[in-house]
Amino acid sequence: MTKKIKINRHVYWNPYFGGFLLGIIILFTFYLTGRGLGASGAMKSGVVTIVDTIAPTHAENSAYYSRFISEDKSPMNTWLVFEALGVLIGAFISGGLTGRIGWRTQHSPKITKKRRLAFALGGGILFGLGAQIARGCTSGAALSGMAVLSTGGFITMLAIFGSGFIFAYFFRKNWI
Amino acid sequence: MGPLIPNGIIPSDWDSIIAILIGIAFGFVLEASGFSSSRKLAGVFYGYDFAVLKVFFTAALVATIGIYYMDYLGYLDVGQLYVHPTFLWGAIIGGIIMGIGFVAGGFCPGTSLCAVAIGKIDAIIYVVGIMIGVFIFSELFFLFEPLYEGAFFGNITLMDSLGVNPYWFIFIFTIIAIVSFVISDIIRKRNKKIFY
Amino acid sequence: MVKRKVAKVLAFRYKILAGILIILAGGLVLLPKYEKHEGIKPEQLLSNVISPERYISTDILADKLINQDPSYLLIDVRDKESYHTYTLPNAINIPLAKLLDEDSERYLNQDEYDVVLFSNDNFYADQAWILCNRLDYQNLHVLKGGINQWFNTVINPPKPLENMPTEQFELYSFRKAASMYFGVAYPEQFKAVKKPKKKIVKKIITVKKKKKAPAEGGC
Repeated sequence: MTKKIKINRHVYWNPYFGGFLLGIIILFTFYLTGRGLGASGAMKSGVVTIVDTIAPTHAENSAYYSRFISEDKSPMNTWLVFEALGVLIGAFISGGLTGRIGWRTQHSPKITKKRRLAFALGGGILFGLGAQIARGCTSGAALSGMAVLSTGGFITMLAIFGSGFIFAYFFRKNWI
Repeated sequence: MGPLIPNGIIPSDWDSIIAILIGIAFGFVLEASGFSSSRKLAGVFYGYDFAVLKVFFTAALVATIGIYYMDYLGYLDVGQLYVHPTFLWGAIIGGIIMGIGFVAGGFCPGTSLCAVAIGKIDAIIYVVGIMIGVFIFSELFFLFEPLYEGAFFGNITLMDSLGVNPYWFIFIFTIIAIVSFVISDIIRKRNKKIFY
Repeated sequence: MVKRKVAKVLAFRYKILAGILIILAGGLVLLPKYEKHEGIKPEQLLSNVISPERYISTDILADKLINQDPSYLLIDVRDKESYHTYTLPNAINIPLAKLLDEDSERYLNQDEYDVVLFSNDNFYADQAWILCNRLDYQNLHVLKGGINQWFNTVINPPKPLENMPTEQFELYSFRKAASMYFGVAYPEQFKAVKKPKKKIVKKIITVKKKKKAPAEGGC
């Protein structure tokens, strides 16, 4: 019985169905707000807020932070932060309905937990850096950019997946 | 007529509420499609699971076709939509760095948020990593500035840069996507199955 | 039996879906293209043209000006020289050639004021009216007869004949009063001769631009 639940936990939606719904959501987002989805923007707001709280003068003097700080509005009070909150809620609902919630570290049986976490941290740092250079991540730049046929969106998408395939060889032990 | 909020049809006070609702739908679909699992996401690079490719392309196609049909019928003005700006080298180099981060960490920011919501510890570490990455970028902004600001082409679309008719482009893009789905299925059958 | 048929169809489900997607994308290519009308539909424009609200008479305008109705915005569509020679009080000069400039848009495309367009006669003001109306600008009117009519009725009203109805006399007295307001002296009223020269203070109107926030960035 327990085994059955364990197997069922990883039965996900048909990818085409998920993709179709995701496309409808993007379409709806553009129809309502004229903009696409995003995710890394919320984390940038988080960093700006933290730096602004800990070292306000430093944040104001920095050429990058100061772009996102205004007197009357907290950097957290942006569209993307609210959207990211929604993502957390929505994923929690979905995970709750299918029983996927729990403190776990997912990794290939060939590697240790420590190694997985170290690579997650390194990957996160790289992704955060890249997302700032390209002004958007896979959802903000690539997915939403592709929906309106933005040149930058297509280039970003090709660069992400292209380099992903190239460098996949070096990280194969982590996954296969 | 559309987009509704920039044209003042829906008051902008609703912006945040709509953001949360859209986020909920986005998070739900991502999680239900399996994007909270890093091994499933990474599968696209090793040929054992092509969910990312399928979801990604299907979503982009549905959204693009939908947007252009709505534009044709007059519900939405494509010219008013936000077009991601093109900074050529920023997009390429940023994309390459993100690609490495993707294979190494197994998430992208949106999916890592989903995984955080269901309690994946690696995802929490990943989000912390992203924040550190943003922090490094901001602190070393003077180093990245020429890359970040350089080779700016404006908010251009493929129609501007390639001079193609958008409708034909969408049609060709659809065929490319379907062919890639077929190929991905063939590749997946050849590879040995991996349970995760 | 039914199950087997369903299974047969389901075996092709991805092909069917792919087919639908290709048909939808092909539909975009094949749909007949039409030039998008910038602005309102021709039928709408026609019905606006016929509508009586299009014109405002000189008498009504004089009344509004005397009462200093703040909701009216006068726009002179003649060229600059004519504008400097003579114009209606507090009018703003937007020559026809500059009508569709960005600076002009904030005066024309707003919902705060009733805009009255005028020229020497109806001719240029009508052109301006059509141009702006096509872009779906609201609350536009044309001064019927233009400045010529203004002279003939308000500034220099024709004396009614003895056998005309009383309304005509009332109208005449209103017009005479109005013309005095606008600075015309009558010989039978010597008190008014020494009327201090009215300095026309140009009303500076700051028109709020219609709310149209640009769509903001993604990630």
